[in-house]
Amino acid sequence: MNETLLWKRIWRHKLLYLFMLPGIVWFFLFSYVPLYGIQVAFRDFTFSGGFTGSPWAGMKYFQQFFDYYQSSALIRNTIIISALKLLIGFAMPILLAILLNEVRQLKFKKTVQTLSYLPYFVSWVVVVTLMQRLLTPYGGPVNDLLTSIGLLKEPIQFLNNTTWFYQIIVGSDIWKNIGWNSIIYMAAMAGIDQQLYEAAKIDGAGRFRQIWHVTLPGIRNIAVILFILATGSLMSAGYEQLLLLNGPATAAIGSVLDVHVIGAGISQGRLSYAAAVGLFQSVIALVLILTVNRIARKVSDVSLF
Amino acid sequence: MKKWRFSLFNALNYAFLTLFGLSMIYPFIYILVYSLNDGKDSMMGALYFLPRKFTLENYAQVFENHLIWQAYKITILRTLIGVVLHVTLCTMMAYALSKKTLPGRTFFTFYIFLPTIFGAGFIPYFITLQKLHLINSFWVYVIPLLFNFMHIVIIRTFLQGIPEELEESARIDGYGDFQIFLRIVLPLSGPVLATISLFIGVTHWNDWFSGAYYVSNKELLPVQTLLQQMLTEMEALSSSMQRAAQQGGQTVNVSMAGATPESLRMALLVITVFPILCVYPFLQRYFVKGVMLGSVKG
Repeated sequence: MNETLLWKRIWRHKLLYLFMLPGIVWFFLFSYVPLYGIQVAFRDFTFSGGFTGSPWAGMKYFQQFFDYYQSSALIRNTIIISALKLLIGFAMPILLAILLNEVRQLKFKKTVQTLSYLPYFVSWVVVVTLMQRLLTPYGGPVNDLLTSIGLLKEPIQFLNNTTWFYQIIVGSDIWKNIGWNSIIYMAAMAGIDQQLYEAAKIDGAGRFRQIWHVTLPGIRNIAVILFILATGSLMSAGYEQLLLLNGPATAAIGSVLDVHVIGAGISQGRLSYAAAVGLFQSVIALVLILTVNRIARKVSDVSLF
Repeated sequence: MKKWRFSLFNALNYAFLTLFGLSMIYPFIYILVYSLNDGKDSMMGALYFLPRKFTLENYAQVFENHLIWQAYKITILRTLIGVVLHVTLCTMMAYALSKKTLPGRTFFTFYIFLPTIFGAGFIPYFITLQKLHLINSFWVYVIPLLFNFMHIVIIRTFLQGIPEELEESARIDGYGDFQIFLRIVLPLSGPVLATISLFIGVTHWNDWFSGAYYVSNKELLPVQTLLQQMLTEMEALSSSMQRAAQQGGQTVNVSMAGATPESLRMALLVITVFPILCVYPFLQRYFVKGVMLGSVKG
């Protein structure tokens, strides 16, 4: 009886299942088949053998990675770059949101906001092309500006220069994403009860104390959640940006795991090895996000899951 | 005293935000100026806000290039097809998942959510693309981007806000399921569909990676990949030309004019960025809402 009822319900929704069918197939092909394919990291992959037909290799490729003389440099570079991006890139959108929140002139606020989203909508290729043009020491506007106001004696080669590499990486990352990432904080601030500000004013709080005691607590929860999510990417430094910005001149401090995986896998065809490095990366990322989530739950009562 | 402190804060804040806003827009103004200026003249430097020797030569030459036309066509085609298919399929899936009465709803939601927590990584994904014969095909641009978990969640959240009664009364009027979807649900979903179209449209327009790593046929490359390939070639070329121009340019042939690889590249950059700059300010209120919907659930 129950069973026929269920079948009836399913039959009644047949159109909805039909609607879901393409999605079910797609997620199977593009998400679950690759998950199943992780095993190539433990096999000597050959194209004809495929995911399951290639012979087992055990931990050979993981061993190969850790024996590679640059593996510790790769891990170190990845962590340095992503940690810098995480710490600075995380704080900047909050700062921008706070400053915008203090602006009373709505038209001005709206204009700055609109401009700030702009770089998010162009590709990394465009951003790097812009940087090449603007930062060139041969008549680029940035060097011209800095020398004309006396900050520099002579033009600097900003790109492909180890001295400036981290500044360029973090700076361009912030430039591209700051506006977009501030949207969520702006929204959280819009939801703060205005009476709290009034009350703080009556208690004699100035601008800064209002920000400290009202604005910041108002965005605390969303900030913690976003921080937990961001730590999940500590093992990946952003492959698009680094593929484009890292060159031979900066390889010593700019080679990272993401790019190594793509280079070894596609350019050199060492698919099993690259899969092993990638898997190592994903597992660490998963452990990180679970750990930070647990710490956040203990310290602040806010957590993802 | 207090009043003065307040306005100092404001003055600094406005000044800082103005500079900030300029830093966001100036690079785009600069490439526009560069692309509208005579290429050889630009190499002398000191070009900031207005073209010194105005010309459309750079654009004329860019549009004469067969490879660029072809790449532009590929980019437009993949964006149009990609957006239409993505939005249609994600909306269908989201509509099904928005029905609380659907048996298996929780299971299917989890089924599409799980891969966002633990992905397989790049290599297994790449092998899958190979096995599906997508490598070196136009469809490698479209099919792998057909669905996106966050987009489905955003649409689903929106659809759940449509009052049940609307669909009920339509059913009483004799509408079938499909008609309800087509005539009631879709027309009400304009804002969210605009948001998702913008998100996925920008993803398609900006994707250079697929072209660089999944495709070797030159006729199939999108504009962004073309620009990417120019990055390394140009840097060496233009900086050496520029150095030569800076050292000798002022004294040598002043009447020297014409396009340079760099000025052509800037013209190409402008026609690549321009469509996005035109579209996004108008969709701004939609995508801000989209970010909100996504974050509430995410």
